[in-house]
Amino acid sequence: MSESEYAIEVENLNIYYGNNHVIKSINLKIPQKTVFAIMGPSGCGKSTMLRSFNRLLDLNKNVRVNGSVHLFGRDIYTGDMDSVEVRREVGMVFQYPNPFPHLSIYNNIALGLKMNKLVKSDKELDERIEWALKKAGLWEEVKHRLNDYPSGLSGGQRQRLVIARVIAMKPKVIMMDEPTANIDPVGSKKIEDLIFELKKDYTIVLVTHNPAQAARVSDYVAFIYLGELVEAGETGKIFTAPESKLTEKYLTGKLV
Amino acid sequence: MYQFDMRRIKEYSFLGVISLLSFFMIFPLFHIIFTVFVDGIGTLVSTGPVFITGTLDDGGIGPAILGTLILSFFASLIGIPIAFAVGVYAYEYPYSVIGKATTALLEITQEFPTILVGLFVTQILVLPMGTYSAIAGAFALAIILMPYVAVYTKEAMSQIPFSFREAAFSLGVTKVKTVFLIIAPIAKRGILTGLLISVAKVAGETAPLLFTAGGLYQTYPDSLTQPVGAIPLLIYTLVQSPSPADHAMAWGASLVLLLIFLAAFIPLRLSIKEVRM
Amino acid sequence: MSTLKKFGRFDRFDFLTYPAVLFVFLLFTWMLAVYVTSSIPAFQREGWNVYFTNVWNASECPDKEYYGILAAIWGSLYTSTIALLVALPLSISYSIFVVDYAPKRLKGILEITSDIMAGLPTIIYGIWGAFFLVPFLKEWVMMPVYNYLSFIPIFSQKPVSGFSFFSAGVLLGIMITPFVSAVVREAYTTIPHTYREAAYSLGLTRYEATKILIGYVKPAMISGTILGFGRAIGETVAVSLVVGNAFNLSADPFSPGYTISSLIATQYGNSFIYTHMTSVLYAAGLFLFLVGLFITLLGMYVLRRWKKNVSI
Ligand SMILES: Nc1ncnc2c1ncn2[C@@H]1O[C@H](COP(=O)(O)OP(=O)(O)O)[C@@H](O)[C@H]1O
Ligand SMILES: [Mg+2]
Repeated sequence: MSESEYAIEVENLNIYYGNNHVIKSINLKIPQKTVFAIMGPSGCGKSTMLRSFNRLLDLNKNVRVNGSVHLFGRDIYTGDMDSVEVRREVGMVFQYPNPFPHLSIYNNIALGLKMNKLVKSDKELDERIEWALKKAGLWEEVKHRLNDYPSGLSGGQRQRLVIARVIAMKPKVIMMDEPTANIDPVGSKKIEDLIFELKKDYTIVLVTHNPAQAARVSDYVAFIYLGELVEAGETGKIFTAPESKLTEKYLTGKLV
Repeated sequence: MYQFDMRRIKEYSFLGVISLLSFFMIFPLFHIIFTVFVDGIGTLVSTGPVFITGTLDDGGIGPAILGTLILSFFASLIGIPIAFAVGVYAYEYPYSVIGKATTALLEITQEFPTILVGLFVTQILVLPMGTYSAIAGAFALAIILMPYVAVYTKEAMSQIPFSFREAAFSLGVTKVKTVFLIIAPIAKRGILTGLLISVAKVAGETAPLLFTAGGLYQTYPDSLTQPVGAIPLLIYTLVQSPSPADHAMAWGASLVLLLIFLAAFIPLRLSIKEVRM
Repeated sequence: MSTLKKFGRFDRFDFLTYPAVLFVFLLFTWMLAVYVTSSIPAFQREGWNVYFTNVWNASECPDKEYYGILAAIWGSLYTSTIALLVALPLSISYSIFVVDYAPKRLKGILEITSDIMAGLPTIIYGIWGAFFLVPFLKEWVMMPVYNYLSFIPIFSQKPVSGFSFFSAGVLLGIMITPFVSAVVREAYTTIPHTYREAAYSLGLTRYEATKILIGYVKPAMISGTILGFGRAIGETVAVSLVVGNAFNLSADPFSPGYTISSLIATQYGNSFIYTHMTSVLYAAGLFLFLVGLFITLLGMYVLRRWKKNVSI
């Protein structure tokens, strides 16, 4: 099994909800330790495609995935890896910050670690949680109230808690589905800074419907329209000299 | 002009009619509560605390109250764990063949005549044991309890946003643990409320106890395999008696039952959007 | 390479929950089986006459025993029909009033009230029915009807006690109103807002708009009616306290009668004295079982078909 230079390679990916063809023959290569942004108008299939990268689509009924997705060279849909293993290596941050409301801040992070037996002792658990919260830039704000419930946190803090929950698992890839869509500007800025920080260690796939955000934080960008990949490449190049008229229109706000 | 007036008249008479009929719909409840209070309070006051604690010979309904508690408790003990598992199953597989069949069965059994449950338990428990018993009564109530608890559980869990499920799975948490450690605890409030409403409902049942619990009012129950009384069952017996003293007793017992029911039901109903009965 | 995802493998989750699911299915089947096997002796002895004759010869001498529950079947259908006649206008008006007209506060109170009615122990309806409703109806409805309308054949007999099909029907009607209205109200609430807007924007008055919207939920009302009928036919103790408990095939609503469930409730306790009565009562139960099942399935079917059509 050769380690690929790409974190994720997508080949001829087609996704259907029943008869609704949502993702159409997409090919994509996502290099390691970069921020790869996926942008496009809402409803074009960004979330659906993202969920095919960690087999979260398995939770939906009537969904059909054709084609292949490789994670560091290993096919995630055939016998190479089981779904739990895939999800451990590919963490996910959601559009609505969703820390578990019935678990304390501490236990929100401890949950995945304990369930997957990723730590051996309570001491290691404490250390890992502190480490993750620090990485997520949340430690100073919550270190005195680790046993509180997340309901007391602001939207931005909750989202960083979710990010900490993901980082604690030490995944290889972190996927974020419009992580700032429901968060105030100050909170959003913190999360964008955090993404910049995290790409040193992780590959980040960022879904956004906001081209300005893609321009600010990403190294590569893919533009999806109605389930098709219009174009993908280095962020600088796409934003200054897009090949497709459609991309140009989207970036100048002429496409809704 | 004439036509417009006709329309206005129709509009107002329509509003008048439906308001009046709506009032007629709920009026009986207030009349029932009023009647039970007026006819029951005398017995309660003149008998005093003995009415709650004494046996029938003392002029009290103590054994019936205890019997209702025993029956409700053991019905819950038998019914709730099974019903919870069934509800979780129906939540997890809303579209599979067995999942749909389960949901349909739950709806059917909610509509099922409760007297038939009683007669069934008589056949399978009372006749073999040779006696009415608390356990037979509790089992009959448990059968009636289960579909309600299951449906409440299912619906409370279905209310939880899908993204919590996605989040748990994306952390590598297995299905069992996602359902039992994440979704069910988040839905805890809804599940518990539904559960208590269901228990409150079966505690007021009469028909399934007729030929299962048997009735015991002269002494306090001391064994699960012996007959036991219940407030609704006692009322049913007393109403059929020709003696006015028994009727007074029945009103008193009805007032106790009504107060217990309202005290349990109203707070529960206020904490939940919708109930099914 | 292509992959097709498969779901529903048997896993730990299924191990935990499946036995419970299996148990409830088995329990239901078991119940049906008990009713079938327990009523076989009655069918062997009397055939379909169990259901189609009106006799009740309880005798110490087994050879003379003979039973036919036609009067109880008649009583169940009769009282449940009266119940619907009472419940339908009330619950439909109530649903319209609560959804369209009632101010928010009143709406909440009304909803809670009907939920309390649905949950209230049926024995409380029973005692109120026996001691208040029956005398009340006798004095204010039955006697006046007899006095002024006795030329109509079914009202030609002077009401005796007040315990009758009519009293049972009215009491059942009051009891099932909250169930029927729950179904209607739920359907009526789901009418998309745009329909309401459309109706009003055509310049319709509220009455005219309501008339159109009611058409939209008609199948749900039918379903509510069917399910309400099912509830009424299965109710036991309250009915048995007011129906009079007599074998009577009469169409006179003011005469006493039986229903299947009140027959079981009053006769089962001493049926063991006789040789053949128990089995007949299980046959009565089987009838109620199957009719109830059919009614419930029909009501569910109508409702589901409607929900499916509406959701397009
Ligand atoms: N669970 C689902 N079942 C059926 N169709 C879905 C589901 N989720 C999304 N879709 C459809 O798939 C398309 C793409 O949706 P999505 O991936 O959420 O788009 P985006 O994230 O770009 O806004 C939409 O047309 C949407 O209606
Ligand atoms: Mg999306």
